[in-house]
Amino acid sequence: MEAIDIVKTSYIKELIAKGIREDGRKANEFRKIEIVSGLIKNAEGSAQVDLGATRVLAGVKLNLDEPMEDTPNQGNLVVSAELLPLASASYETGPPSPDSIELARVVDRGIRHAKCVNLESLFVEEAKAWTVYVDLYVLNYNGNLFDAGSIAAMSALLSTEVPKYEDGKVVREERVSKLKIDNIITSSTFAKVGGKSLLDPTANETNAAYSRVTIATDEKYVRAMQKGMSGGFSAKEIEELIEVAFNNHKEQKDIIKKSQK
Amino acid sequence: MRDMIIPGDMVSDKPLRIANGFIQNGKTYSKVLGVYDAAERTIIPLEGSWMPRLEDSVVGIITEARPKVYIVDLSYFGRALLIPGKYDRYEFQPGDIISALIKNIEGKNTIILEDPKPLEGGTILSIKPKKIPRVIGKKSTMVRQIAEYSGTHIVVGMNGLIWLKDGNIALATEALLKVEREAHLSGLTDTIKNFLEKNKSE
Amino acid sequence: MGSSLNKPELVVDGKRLDGRRFDEIRDLKITAAPLKNADGSAYIEWGNNRILAAVYGPKEATPRHLSDPSKAIIKCRYSMAPFSGLSEHGRSGPNRRAIEISKVIKEVFENVVVLSDFPGSEIDIFIEVLQGDGGTRAAGLTAASVAVASAGIHMRDLVYAVSAGRIDEHIAVDFTMIEDNYSDCDMPIAVAPRNNEILLLQMDGEMTKEQMSEAISMALEAGKKVNVAQRNALKEAYARAGEEKN
Repeated sequence: MEAIDIVKTSYIKELIAKGIREDGRKANEFRKIEIVSGLIKNAEGSAQVDLGATRVLAGVKLNLDEPMEDTPNQGNLVVSAELLPLASASYETGPPSPDSIELARVVDRGIRHAKCVNLESLFVEEAKAWTVYVDLYVLNYNGNLFDAGSIAAMSALLSTEVPKYEDGKVVREERVSKLKIDNIITSSTFAKVGGKSLLDPTANETNAAYSRVTIATDEKYVRAMQKGMSGGFSAKEIEELIEVAFNNHKEQKDIIKKSQK
Repeated sequence: MRDMIIPGDMVSDKPLRIANGFIQNGKTYSKVLGVYDAAERTIIPLEGSWMPRLEDSVVGIITEARPKVYIVDLSYFGRALLIPGKYDRYEFQPGDIISALIKNIEGKNTIILEDPKPLEGGTILSIKPKKIPRVIGKKSTMVRQIAEYSGTHIVVGMNGLIWLKDGNIALATEALLKVEREAHLSGLTDTIKNFLEKNKSE
Repeated sequence: MGSSLNKPELVVDGKRLDGRRFDEIRDLKITAAPLKNADGSAYIEWGNNRILAAVYGPKEATPRHLSDPSKAIIKCRYSMAPFSGLSEHGRSGPNRRAIEISKVIKEVFENVVVLSDFPGSEIDIFIEVLQGDGGTRAAGLTAASVAVASAGIHMRDLVYAVSAGRIDEHIAVDFTMIEDNYSDCDMPIAVAPRNNEILLLQMDGEMTKEQMSEAISMALEAGKKVNVAQRNALKEAYARAGEEKN
């Protein structure tokens, strides 16, 4: 951490001790979410999400591949993430960082286990099925990439259209149907600073935190969780946070749905 | 008359030795995005990093305490050193915040500081260095009114780092960021005063 | 390039596929400073190209042994998103082509930036192609130039770029992806507009001496529009700044 981040970190802790967040939000309050979908026409689906000053662009591409051996009648989902060096002074060029891989995997698990993408519908013909590639591009970083990434991925998938397949060839200029989406998932990430769990943490709050948890849910079930950083949570805390996550889900699901024209 | 200028724009068909300009074939061009004040013959940059000058007051963070020298982070690409003299009686730890004056600039980018004052606790806000004169305002009017309304101690460094402690820091921060965003607009002192008036109770 | 297999008709009734004249560039719009964290940034929509450029610096050069005590060093990364093309999912990160483009763009900025004003520092330029449709290096460089200016970094000129080349017997500017794929030559050119000095030129294909001169002068003429878009972006950013909400 830079010297200035260390100063800000101790200030954040001081504030939290007084029950105040740096931007005046309540502990369980999200920042403003704005979604623009369909920004990248070359991609089969796309969405750009602003969560406060955090900005993530998700792009979806469909490749025609051979199905996996154990699931010959369905397609596949691959989620990747890039923390682009233009998004933050602290990001570096080079191979994917552990942080970017964790981000991609956590978003992937939620979407996969909530069965959001109907993988059977991706089957095209014997030995041919679509692989859905979701790429999360972080364009500006101010904390909580997990939730911004989930919203971006979900919105991009909802906007996705399947290219035409004819006489053994993919005709990308023509798109014939909407990608079949069966479920919507969203996540809620909390960072624990000075014994308090803060929803949707900023970069400064993340720097000040010693424990973090992401809870991905659909309407009924918890679908994926990730406890991050070295600190812990009590079982009771986890229960309370799951409750908050379910409440957030309804609100975010509406915002995601509204972004689709 | 002040016109907005872009790098490479000609500001005079005569060779002028002025800051932020360069001369080619007897003519003067701008090196920066800025405004040109023809009457004063000055190019005022709108953006960019801090260019240190002697006696500038700065805010920084001690990053290393070595025998006989402290290394100070001023959020600047060069180095800044604080070298205690024989009669100086101060001692700092890494992480301590100080304000200090520029005593000397050695070589091309090594800053030598003097007269350090410890700033205890609080936090630091970074503002684009080119907006700092607006943050201070004429005879310090701007920073003084922000301090008064928010009840916050504010120390402004010419390097773009601002130290804040106590009072309504969130209000002070919002006001300072508003000055940064609107630095090029006129009537800013009143705009900020209205903003502070409206938001102080919350 | 120059492939005759399945070559589509690129010129119909004396006009190009999208209805443009040969000396006409696609519409372009640049927004200065769209990103919050970067010291300078720009977003360009040029035809169907969508490209973000961002600048960090001047900052302390790392690693330290790479720093030059007499001047700034510039690093540049041009990269294409895996979803940027109309073809299938691409690979992440810069490939050999992207690394070469990064290098030639870096060299352009080493010319126009007043490096000696920032001794010992590093200036990072990042260009991310979010959607590409031909001429991404010209569009990326054009955006990067606005990003560098918006960071307040000292420059001698607001450099721009545009491509020119040949389709059949016609000299033309600003090729789309499909024109680029089947043209006889595509040549990106970067220009310092103050005295029209050419700072980047890459060419492959087939051109006579006369065709080369014609292409270059057509690029310089068409580039005026690019330069105007750059200037407007910077001016608008400062008119707009006051209206922004908290």
